[in-house]
Amino acid sequence: MAKLNLTLKVWRQENAQAQGRIETYQAKDIPEECSFLEMLDIVNESLVHEGKEPIHFDHDCREGICGMCSLTINGVPHGGKKVTTCQLHMRQFKDGDTIWIEPFRAKAFPILRDLMVDRSALDKIIASGGFVDVRTGAAPNANNMPVRKKTADAAFDAAACIGCGACVASCKNSSAMLFTSAKAAHLNLLPQGHPEKNKRVLAMVRQMDALGFGNCTNQYECEAACPKGISVDNIAKLNRDYMVACAAEAVAVYS
Amino acid sequence: MNDIITTACKFVTSSIGRKILVALTGSCLLLFLVGHLGGNLTIFGGDGTNPADPSWINAYATGLHTMPTWLLWAIRLGLLVIFLIHVVLTLVLKYENYNARTHYQMEGTLKATLSSRTMVITGVMVFCFLVFHLWQLTFNGDPANCYEHIRAAFTNPWCSLFYIVAICCLFMHVRHGVQSVMQTLGLSTRKIRPLYNIVAILFGIVVCGGFIAIPVAFLTGILQ
Repeated sequence: MAKLNLTLKVWRQENAQAQGRIETYQAKDIPEECSFLEMLDIVNESLVHEGKEPIHFDHDCREGICGMCSLTINGVPHGGKKVTTCQLHMRQFKDGDTIWIEPFRAKAFPILRDLMVDRSALDKIIASGGFVDVRTGAAPNANNMPVRKKTADAAFDAAACIGCGACVASCKNSSAMLFTSAKAAHLNLLPQGHPEKNKRVLAMVRQMDALGFGNCTNQYECEAACPKGISVDNIAKLNRDYMVACAAEAVAVYS
Repeated sequence: MNDIITTACKFVTSSIGRKILVALTGSCLLLFLVGHLGGNLTIFGGDGTNPADPSWINAYATGLHTMPTWLLWAIRLGLLVIFLIHVVLTLVLKYENYNARTHYQMEGTLKATLSSRTMVITGVMVFCFLVFHLWQLTFNGDPANCYEHIRAAFTNPWCSLFYIVAICCLFMHVRHGVQSVMQTLGLSTRKIRPLYNIVAILFGIVVCGGFIAIPVAFLTGILQ
């Protein structure tokens, strides 16, 4: 069982107003099979023993489904291995490596402390999309509402977004287009989401703009950094849907 | 009517709306490049015996200038408006993007191409070049002697070098621009995106190669 000795360059910031800085820590005897967050737990334990303030970072499920963990590792959100930070294992690193650990950075994601950021801007985009006019009551019969297999697959792929914010953090412009487009697409693609399609698209795009995210320049960094493999096809679809929605709004056509 | 104006205002101030305008004006400018290249290549034309026969390019330049004045200026004004929309909106978008970001101590890039990350720089270089180019060859000189003006410009190696560097910037700009237009207009999917990339590179090579061929031909003595 190989052990790693690493040098960590970690962003420390006492609170939202404080001036942040990079501090250097040694991570000694890190087992290869532990996850990146477990590595930080080990470092934090030794910091606590030394009577120092541990490094604050976000985490929750630690199985890659909740979207709570963040961390920009060597300049790439989640380390760029198509997994969340909690699923990133230390075997991806070599003994003696220097690892830069920073929070997800964007003006719309203010830093709360150290590596924790406030990503509630993403929740505001979802909330602006509003409700879906589904019939409540008993579950509908199977095949009552036919959906093409390819459409269902595309909607499911878009719905896989866990809202971690890696797309925003990796974007050179801090644009939230991949997130917004995935959230809009998974409802827009399905018959259940169709009645509010135009309203949803307009509201979500306008909310995204109002929150101070940047503008997409089609570099596809988001797709490469996304731990859930959300495709930039969703962005193209959002662009299309936005044009249609604007036209519909202008001439007061309500679908 | 009110609804239309309200929506139009919201469209041209939204992120996607402005990007669509940039994409549309960008595609107009791409078409202009093709037309301009077609005209330029008449410099290689002639009766076939003499590659430096100036008659075709002079006839082309004279033809441009003898079209009705209102039409000539309508085309120029149209191009200017398209160009200004493209430049002003991209600069505004870039300014917003800069303000939306806080910078990493350690920057990392996964797949963003160099050309996509330098669009503003290459764009500004092309803009500076364009001002010089218009001053040098459009508004100075006699269209009937077009060939002589071009020869005078390109037999100066510094001038040729400047043109070649500027066109290389244009290549970088177009290489990202072509596929970016398709994505912004919503015409891109994962199946066709690699093809757009190839088309973008081929378009860049053909158009920019065509433009560069002229100073290179003068420097190597193919045209004299």
